[in-house]
Amino acid sequence: MIRNYLAAALAVAALFLTVPAGAATPGVGECMDCHGDKTIEKTLPNGQTVSLYVDLQAYRSSVHGGNTCVTCHADAKAPHEKLQKVSCGKCHGDSEKSYAMSSHGIMRAKGVTDVPACHDCHGMHDIRKPQDPADRTFRLNIVATCLRCHKERALEERYPHLPDHKMLAAYEQSVHGMASKKSGLMGSAVCVDCHGNHAILPGDQPRSATHRQNIPTLCGKCHPGILEQYEKSVHGKGMRGGIAESPVCTDCHGEHTIAKVHDPSSAVSSRNIPKTCSGCHDKEAISTRYALPKKRFSSYMDSFHGIAVEYGMTKAANCSSCHGVHDILPSADPASTVNKANLPKTCGKCHPNAGPNFAKGDIHVDISPKKAMGVFAVRIFYTIFISALVILFALHVGLELYGRWNRRKEKAPGGKERPS
Amino acid sequence: MSRADLAAGKVIRMSLLFRVQHLLLTVLLTVLAVTGFALMYHENFLARWIIELEGGVHSRGIVHRTAAVLLMANLVYHAFYMLLSREGKPELRQLFIGRQDIDDFLQSLRYNLGMAKEYPRFGKYGYKEKFQYWGASVGVVLISVTGIMLWAEEFSMLFFPKVVLDLAIIIHGYQGLLAFAVLFLWHLYNVHLHPSVFPMNPSWITGKVSAEWLREEHPLEYEKLKGEGLL
Repeated sequence: MIRNYLAAALAVAALFLTVPAGAATPGVGECMDCHGDKTIEKTLPNGQTVSLYVDLQAYRSSVHGGNTCVTCHADAKAPHEKLQKVSCGKCHGDSEKSYAMSSHGIMRAKGVTDVPACHDCHGMHDIRKPQDPADRTFRLNIVATCLRCHKERALEERYPHLPDHKMLAAYEQSVHGMASKKSGLMGSAVCVDCHGNHAILPGDQPRSATHRQNIPTLCGKCHPGILEQYEKSVHGKGMRGGIAESPVCTDCHGEHTIAKVHDPSSAVSSRNIPKTCSGCHDKEAISTRYALPKKRFSSYMDSFHGIAVEYGMTKAANCSSCHGVHDILPSADPASTVNKANLPKTCGKCHPNAGPNFAKGDIHVDISPKKAMGVFAVRIFYTIFISALVILFALHVGLELYGRWNRRKEKAPGGKERPS
Repeated sequence: MSRADLAAGKVIRMSLLFRVQHLLLTVLLTVLAVTGFALMYHENFLARWIIELEGGVHSRGIVHRTAAVLLMANLVYHAFYMLLSREGKPELRQLFIGRQDIDDFLQSLRYNLGMAKEYPRFGKYGYKEKFQYWGASVGVVLISVTGIMLWAEEFSMLFFPKVVLDLAIIIHGYQGLLAFAVLFLWHLYNVHLHPSVFPMNPSWITGKVSAEWLREEHPLEYEKLKGEGLL
């Protein structure tokens, strides 16, 4: 009671006397008089109760522990009613600015309350440095922090434009997810490495770090050697040249589901890569627009390599065994592994005897009169020959039965004259 | 021919050695067809099932090639037997195709159409058997050659451009289909469904046929045996 009077008196004094503001601000100890009580709480209009307890120890060991309460809660007095919202941007202006441009920030500015503000990711009184393993934004803790909301189906229902929550959670099983979660590797990509932190935006916005146009550079941050190869490839050049259909990293490797190449579930595993490549290369529109050879998928799948791979012989050649991986070039390019001049070397990786003589002619056999007359002719010949033979058999059998039926009354079963 | 056989009216048509060769051929061709067509029609669900059953495409290959080696051994043995042995040489002579076979064929057509009174009088092997025998022989040789080319693909690559191996695959597969059509439709009809033998010509198991059947279907052979006092 006395404290209340004292506070009131001080407030009155402050009104009349131009006492410096600092004189009225409470120290940490004073705040803790109330907020050190574990039972202190307030009731929201909707009946929910919120604890107002502050763990002094956690605060002291936080990155802000050297400050006082009023550094953030500038309008705090003892005692006080509801305080104004803490503005982190007072000190962290850049972060606030980039947050304001993010989808989280934009939504928040519109008054949506279930998008994260600073404290939802960073915490409140216990904020530590991101380098501190105990912090929520420490590299190995980031995924759990983001997935706290993004794993929720409820969230997906409220915001239908968000990707499937399963897709987001699939990251945990991906090569990046396993590397950070299982192996504890600091170098593996976590959410913020690709999506950014404060400036996070959906991938369909050109400013987003995960926009198609930015993907190769983004992945190249950690995979610079691969990026260098990719930039020289037909896909890389096409992509940089503004051909939207030219594949970027994620088109072949996937995003959250990205897996090791030896993992059978990987889109680029030996078993799956024909399907992945033909996702574009078996499309009539794409082959026509870019004057690419057609029937690459079916001609491969019907080849011995294709059948072997289809049935799990991963040793057999798949698309990338001959065409290369990140460094794919059109066959007309003299540096291409499938350039006529380089074919003996490329085939020779597995078939040492396959010389220039062997590499003559088409590798993908498109059985048509224009592309492979010999094979086409032999197949037509056999088809006609076998069909004709079967028809003749049927006629012969029919005729024989007809003859026997006509002579059924005669003595011998064949209707033949018995030798006397 | 034993006395008991004669008394029962039986005549030997296939000696034990021929029956063994025939049985081997039957089993091996079946194995080769099952494993081979599974590969040729690999996208078919039945083929998928068969390949799974065989333990994958790799062991399918091992089964196919093992059967192929045995079949080729059988073929080589048969060739030597027909060319050199006392039993084989006369058999081979009787299997040669001549003008008579064409005449027989045409006459059987006329006869069945009711345009001729006489059914052709066949020796031990009529045109049906000869067509079957030589068709299968040529087929097995062709399919063996292409099969070896594909099996020894590293060796083939030394000499042939890829298109030759592409042709070999096509020939190998379609020759197999041809053999299958001939054996399944033609041969099985002749030895199982033909009214004179239905439900089965037993000679592939017992080696024997009835003298009665021989007289009706192969009268010249019947008369020859009779002339030799063997009946």
